[in-house]
Amino acid sequence: MRKSYLLPRLILLVLVWAFFFFAFDPLLKWGMIKGIEKGAKAKAEIASLHTTFLPPSLKLTGLAVADSKDAYRNIVEFSELAFSAEGKPLLEKKLVVDNASLTGLRFGTARKTSGKLSFVKEEPSELVEGLKEESKAFALDRAADVKTDAVKDYKVDPAELGSVKLAKQLEENYQKDYKDISARVDTKKYEAALDGLKARYEKARGENNFAKQAKDYAAIGKDVKKLTSDFKKDKEEAEAALARAKDSFKAVDEARKKDLAAVMSKMKLPSMDTQSIARMLAGPLIAEHTATGMKWMNMARKYMPSNSKGVLKNEATRGRAVHFPRTESYPTFLVRKMSVSGELGTEDPLDYKGAIEGLTTQPQVYGKPTTAVIKGAKGARRLDLRATLDAASGEVKTDSRLLYTGMPVRQLQLGSPSSFMVDITGATGAFEGSLKTTGEQLSGKAAVRLTGASFKPKADNIKAAPLRSAVEASFAGLTSALIETGISGTVKDPKLSINTDLANALSKAFSGAMGAEVKKAREEAQKKIDEALKPYRSKLDDTAAARQAELGGRLKDAESKITGGGEGLLKNLTPGKLKLPKFKL
Amino acid sequence: MNPIGLLRQFIQGLTSDTDPRQIGAGIALGFLIGLMPKATLTAQLLIVLMMATRVNIPMALLSVLAVSLANPLIDKLSDPIGYALLTSQALQPFWTKLYNMPVMPWTGFNNTVVPGGLALGAVLLAPVYFAGKRFGVFYNEKFRERVMNSKLVKGLKASWVFDWYFKGAV
Repeated sequence: MRKSYLLPRLILLVLVWAFFFFAFDPLLKWGMIKGIEKGAKAKAEIASLHTTFLPPSLKLTGLAVADSKDAYRNIVEFSELAFSAEGKPLLEKKLVVDNASLTGLRFGTARKTSGKLSFVKEEPSELVEGLKEESKAFALDRAADVKTDAVKDYKVDPAELGSVKLAKQLEENYQKDYKDISARVDTKKYEAALDGLKARYEKARGENNFAKQAKDYAAIGKDVKKLTSDFKKDKEEAEAALARAKDSFKAVDEARKKDLAAVMSKMKLPSMDTQSIARMLAGPLIAEHTATGMKWMNMARKYMPSNSKGVLKNEATRGRAVHFPRTESYPTFLVRKMSVSGELGTEDPLDYKGAIEGLTTQPQVYGKPTTAVIKGAKGARRLDLRATLDAASGEVKTDSRLLYTGMPVRQLQLGSPSSFMVDITGATGAFEGSLKTTGEQLSGKAAVRLTGASFKPKADNIKAAPLRSAVEASFAGLTSALIETGISGTVKDPKLSINTDLANALSKAFSGAMGAEVKKAREEAQKKIDEALKPYRSKLDDTAAARQAELGGRLKDAESKITGGGEGLLKNLTPGKLKLPKFKL
Repeated sequence: MNPIGLLRQFIQGLTSDTDPRQIGAGIALGFLIGLMPKATLTAQLLIVLMMATRVNIPMALLSVLAVSLANPLIDKLSDPIGYALLTSQALQPFWTKLYNMPVMPWTGFNNTVVPGGLALGAVLLAPVYFAGKRFGVFYNEKFRERVMNSKLVKGLKASWVFDWYFKGAV
């Protein structure tokens, strides 16, 4: 055989072998690192990655993903991920793993090198920024200077009030909604239809063939009933739509409250209500954790199964992929069971283990929900996490519950350095939280109970001595606290409600020390805001009332014409009005 | 086909395999390959076919490149054709059978632009072939000599590697 025939083929074989032996694993590792870094917006490392083709398997060790907010901390790391894929599904372009194992999973560990990526900027979370700002603006520093006269001198500019801006916007929206609703209730359409029915009735009345007349009458009767019922339905829908549009006016009251808080803050007057105090104390911390959770959730949602029932999916870079029924169904990606083990916490970590079952990108094909059960115990500490993700039919639903009791809380800071802070040390915490999502909608609650704690208020920013003493006294002897959070809204725009008994203690201290002055100033500020808002609010209410009356009048007129006319027609269509032939016996 | 073989066929195509029919067939096959998404087994098999037959490789590759650049526009036509084929009730059992066969999913047949591109390619294959053939006559008359006398081809022909590998086949 000729050398020139053999040599190129030999070179090709050597090149293929060399690629898989030397380049495949490093290239896959590099691709994975880049993919993770893109998602986490921070550095990621993989110690080693090894693949085999017979059987198809992957073993990945030492993965660490840095925290984009803390360069010297890993957001997550694990020691080893290993799995073997089934051969037959691979021929069908599917990755099916029967058993996978993930060991040494840890969160929040320290790293020696910076995990910051150059040229990557983390977008600040609106939720976190908003609550931080609220906490920062919580005015205590000049509380000593509270003088109601100062409030009298304070001028409220209507153009700067959120409630005024909202009232203007709502009026515009209402006019637009009214126009749409008004166009939808086309009374002329019904009147024309009724005239048509009357004409059909006149024609049928002159009919000599009784059988045909009876048939025509029956058809006209049916159409009259349909017309009146359609009109009633449209009328009800229009009234409901108008009521809904008016319902949005309630937001002005919420905006009014925020305006009051903003004016109080501008005048350096502290808010006395427990909600504001709770948000000032626990808001930034909770928002930070919520934002991190949301970031992970949004990242997971990118890989979450589509809930589309149809066969069509936009998953190909070119064209569209159409899926067909499978006789032997394998989802595109499926891990039947993945055992997970790791540690929680960095100092005196808690060992946990559990399993994630049914991890798939095509739950409708797999037909079962994804479940995760993780448990751990050490001394008095207990960890119990249960989560399900159901996307097998319709909307993606998740339900998760986390219980972690006996956790040591060595140090925790609440509040803002610019207003007021409290240091909590040596506490034992119990966390209980649940979160449900249905599509985009979020609902959940969480509670942290701290016991055996020592509370040290940092009230240096409070210049007013009586207030400072009252605040310090309110924390003296306190050993426990409860912080509760409710989450609602949507994944993109979560809403937090925060409550804590620490806020009650602070509120009492504020009220006791300087409640009367602040209350008076608050009333004065409220009066000014209300005066500025009044013309806009009145205009909005008047517009709504006038439009409602206008549409109501039109609907009433049309109702009397259509329903009255229809009923009249129906009466004439009764069998009694039919002239039956007379028979002579 | 290995990379050396591809280079060999490319150079060979510049100097030999320049019969108008070979040029026409190269352009037509390149046109069909250009319509396909390249990361599918279908496209890879067509490339193997292109290499295995004595079509003009440079023209085929140029055709692939030109059609690939025009894909965003052509997809507007091949996508609805493919969608109509894939969702046709009459063809449903056939597609379902293919979908359940091993290896077949790698061909990307369930991507609208694959069956759409194949159907469009099948319809246009003959016109493209004849147009390519006419272009072949034009190329042989006007450009072949210039290509043969170009510095690149002359340099390659003068090198010992070329001489050893092609053994004067060109």
